Amino acid sequence: MIDPALITNNLIDGVLMGLLYSLVALGLSLVFGLMDIINFAHGDFVMIAAYTTWVIAMMLYVDPSVTAIITVPLFFVIGLAIYKIIIEPILGAEPLIQIAVTVGLGYVLQNLALAYFRAGPRSFPAPWFNYSIQIGPIGIAVSKLIAAAVSLASLFIINYMLVNTKFGLAVRATSANREVAPLMGINVRKVFAITFGLGIALTALGAALYMMWGQTNPYLGQSFSLLSWVIVAMGGLGGVMGVLYSGLIVGVLEALGSTFVSPSARLAVVYLAFFFILWFRPRGLFGRR
Amino acid sequence: MAEPILKVRDVVKRFGGIVAVNKVSFDVNEGEILGLIGPNGAGKTTLFNCITGVYRPEEGHIYFMGEEITGLPPHKIAAKGIARTWQKTRPFQKMKVVEAVMVGALLRTNDVTEARKRAEEALALVGFPREKFYVRGSEITLLEHKMVDLARAIATRPKLLLLDEVAAGLRPGEMDQLASILKRVNRETGITMIVVEHVMRFVMGLSQRMLVMHEGRLIAEGTPEEVANNPKVIEAYLGTKPE
Repeated sequence: MIDPALITNNLIDGVLMGLLYSLVALGLSLVFGLMDIINFAHGDFVMIAAYTTWVIAMMLYVDPSVTAIITVPLFFVIGLAIYKIIIEPILGAEPLIQIAVTVGLGYVLQNLALAYFRAGPRSFPAPWFNYSIQIGPIGIAVSKLIAAAVSLASLFIINYMLVNTKFGLAVRATSANREVAPLMGINVRKVFAITFGLGIALTALGAALYMMWGQTNPYLGQSFSLLSWVIVAMGGLGGVMGVLYSGLIVGVLEALGSTFVSPSARLAVVYLAFFFILWFRPRGLFGRR
Repeated sequence: MAEPILKVRDVVKRFGGIVAVNKVSFDVNEGEILGLIGPNGAGKTTLFNCITGVYRPEEGHIYFMGEEITGLPPHKIAAKGIARTWQKTRPFQKMKVVEAVMVGALLRTNDVTEARKRAEEALALVGFPREKFYVRGSEITLLEHKMVDLARAIATRPKLLLLDEVAAGLRPGEMDQLASILKRVNRETGITMIVVEHVMRFVMGLSQRMLVMHEGRLIAEGTPEEVANNPKVIEAYLGTKPE
């Protein structure tokens, strides 16, 4: 018999992690929905951002969460540059070319990290929020609680932006019809660039939050990439809410897998569920397209 | 005589060996509704795409309000005051009707609340039913889609509006309704219009002046009556030389 307190603990952990996954996947979803490009290097930006966070945290000796003040604007600018140099030339190219380019970009980032930082994991040795709130047998890690709260707030801010701002309406109009948008005075390339920058900035926020307790290595990006694709495919381009719900489902599935099967099989449970969901709902759970 | 709002001079657009628009020149006067007709493949839509900046003409010049706009990107031409609609309606999927029109209105204001107000005004102007302002594009009829496309274009506050086969797919009664909407918009806002159309009855009743294109060239110009009786026009449409 599995201890109910353990199950509860793991479920809470799953929900909190799910919110962080949603935050990371949101950038991929925005870019895919807008430009029809799947950025296979998405998770590798989380990894590079995690190293950047680690370097800054070690230099200033502050908690990784604080470094987001620097890394988020920095990665927005990096995102703009990557868009201009790498993504814009392959817009509208054959899918195979787009895949080759973004997969290649991912490998470049991984090998840069490997060359510079070596393969060993890095983590911040003196996190500020390394304690938990204890309610009877239930313990909640404060660092993960903060990460989840910041993620949730970010998701709502971006949702608000998409519905209620000039830029948000331009993004949705361009997603819906790329030919009409310019005739409404929308500079499509600019909308693409800013959205891509925003997507990369979100990976930096996710990385700063994750590094509050996690450790980075050159291959960290692969798991974030896979989880992000699962979330986006499951969300079926259902907007920010689709990403939020899918992220929560992935987080909870991971927790259940970890509890009832084994911690090492937790991702297998996620992918198995993903397989069946897409089998029965090929357009995703929340897709409307 | 006031300066024409749009001057097209010797515009040429080729696709490979095909000359889609061949040395076309004409003027559009401020405030008029100009009809542009011609058989399929005459180059009417290509000409629209040259004016709105979707295509860059190989030769020739286009002047809008005294300023050369040849080769500018579409979003800059839209900002200068040229809007258009398409033969097939092109809705913004997943957006509510008002939101779609707001996208147009946001060209002239940065204030979303003001854009919403202007969008509602534009929808009211084209006679779109008020109870459907907040439904999604998937829940409205074809005529209503045309109204939304029209309102979206009007919301950008254009000086010149290009309408590409706006009556396509409509029933005769709906066409009359649309024609009276367009006349009202022209009267109330003073927006100049170029109407590309296949349906002769629709465009004849609407335009004050007409141009005829055939195989990339302008072959006739005049009042609807003059154009309808021009032998070259009859030949282009029926493919036979009148005896």
